[in-house]
Amino acid sequence: MAATGESAPKSGVDEGGPSGGIQEDDDLVFRKICSLLDPLNHTGVKLTRDTDLVADLEIDSVAVLDIVMDVEDTYDISIPVNVISETRTIGQLVDAIHVTKKDQA
Amino acid sequence: MGLFEKFEKTATLYNGLEAAGQNPFSVVMEEVLGPTRAKIRGRETVLAGTHNYLGQTFEKTAIAAGQKALEVEGTGTTGSRFANGTFSGHKKLERDLANYLGVDYCVVFSTGYVANLGAIAGLIDPSEDVVLIDADCHACIYDGCQLAGAQTIRFRHNDPESLDKRLARVPPETKGKLVCIEGMYSMYGDVAPVKEFVDVAHRHGAHLLVDEAHSFGIYGEKGRGVAEDVMDQIDFYSGTFSKSLASIGGFVASRHPEVEYLRFSSRPYKFTASPSPSTIATANAALDNIASDPSIRAKLWENANRLHAAFTQLGLRLAAAPAPVISVLFDTREEAFAAWNFLLQHGVYVNMAIPPGTPGKESLLRLAVSSAHTPEDIDALVSAYSALAEAFPAARRSAGH
Repeated sequence: MAATGESAPKSGVDEGGPSGGIQEDDDLVFRKICSLLDPLNHTGVKLTRDTDLVADLEIDSVAVLDIVMDVEDTYDISIPVNVISETRTIGQLVDAIHVTKKDQA
Repeated sequence: MGLFEKFEKTATLYNGLEAAGQNPFSVVMEEVLGPTRAKIRGRETVLAGTHNYLGQTFEKTAIAAGQKALEVEGTGTTGSRFANGTFSGHKKLERDLANYLGVDYCVVFSTGYVANLGAIAGLIDPSEDVVLIDADCHACIYDGCQLAGAQTIRFRHNDPESLDKRLARVPPETKGKLVCIEGMYSMYGDVAPVKEFVDVAHRHGAHLLVDEAHSFGIYGEKGRGVAEDVMDQIDFYSGTFSKSLASIGGFVASRHPEVEYLRFSSRPYKFTASPSPSTIATANAALDNIASDPSIRAKLWENANRLHAAFTQLGLRLAAAPAPVISVLFDTREEAFAAWNFLLQHGVYVNMAIPPGTPGKESLLRLAVSSAHTPEDIDALVSAYSALAEAFPAARRSAGH
């Protein structure tokens, strides 16, 4: 497994925003995405919140959209294509999932 | 300099292929010899990647109709349909298409791409509507969503249950819900379960658009497409003149009178020139031919079934059941490039497709069958694919696939 959540910067906590519950959830979402990306990580780079999906992992835009469908079914949310196309890094994808989860809760 | 930096990766691929003289994306038909033959790289080649499904490119009635339109109506309309670009031929073709499909309304656009762009962008208000699209929909449907600025949700390919889940999650305050699918998907040649999609869409109060670009004139007893048996329940039906009608242009047909308002609301209808009189005339003549002669369709299916059976016998790794598109899958782009060149060297032209233009991780060689393929053409195709199966173990089914 190239993917671990250990090196993920705890940016949410540093900014003093989310509560501990959300932080825990944040790690879970991050790990979930890493587990989906792992089979596609042919470059073997370490997955962090700053990993650029296209530039670092060299996966194409459609592969990202396919991963998002797995995420949608896991969390029972719908993330519009137009939102995903604005995300470049794993961290941004995690954030987009949180926003959507909150909106669709 | 900055403007061109993005091309670095493309340049490596493109220049490499060009240098090797093996670029599938820069093929020139040097001399067209008939509906299924052309000279490519100086050699007579069987065309099996041209979507001339119903072999209408050299039909005498269509050529005569095009020539007459050129003489009587001139070379071009020099205007958009919204202004001066609607001639009586455009209106007649709209009526004939609607009659053929058994619906009341039809709007002709300048290409098939523009038809989907125009339908989605014209129908959708991004502030109150949402579009749900099959994951494998064609680029023009994605682009239509983008032009509309629409909230766009993808559901799993050919999976009505996946659509059901996503429709159930659409916020109740959303006004319009448009679901987009295709009849036959052009990469694998697989077919949508349209009836199931109709049921799911309508249960959630959504409208359904079926793009039959590759299946119009081909599927169904009357050739109305994959949706033929549920035509009275389809909300919007889009198609193209550039495949089974062997011309250029596109259309959106509907049972809803409101589709007429696309003529006012759709920018891709209003802001581009209308199809020239001769392209409209040849499309209409081809429509007359395929509507009145079911043997053309039967011949296509005979050829498709024969090729699919032969390829299955050869152990080739095929993407789907028999269809007018027969694709062989490869795990890597390099294998597919080599196999594509191999076929061309054996006198056969097919299409090559690589991710992200393909549904999965695989690259593929796509053969488009034509009713105009002669027994000699079919023999040449089987012989070339037989050599391919021999030379490329990667093209054959294995335990892993």
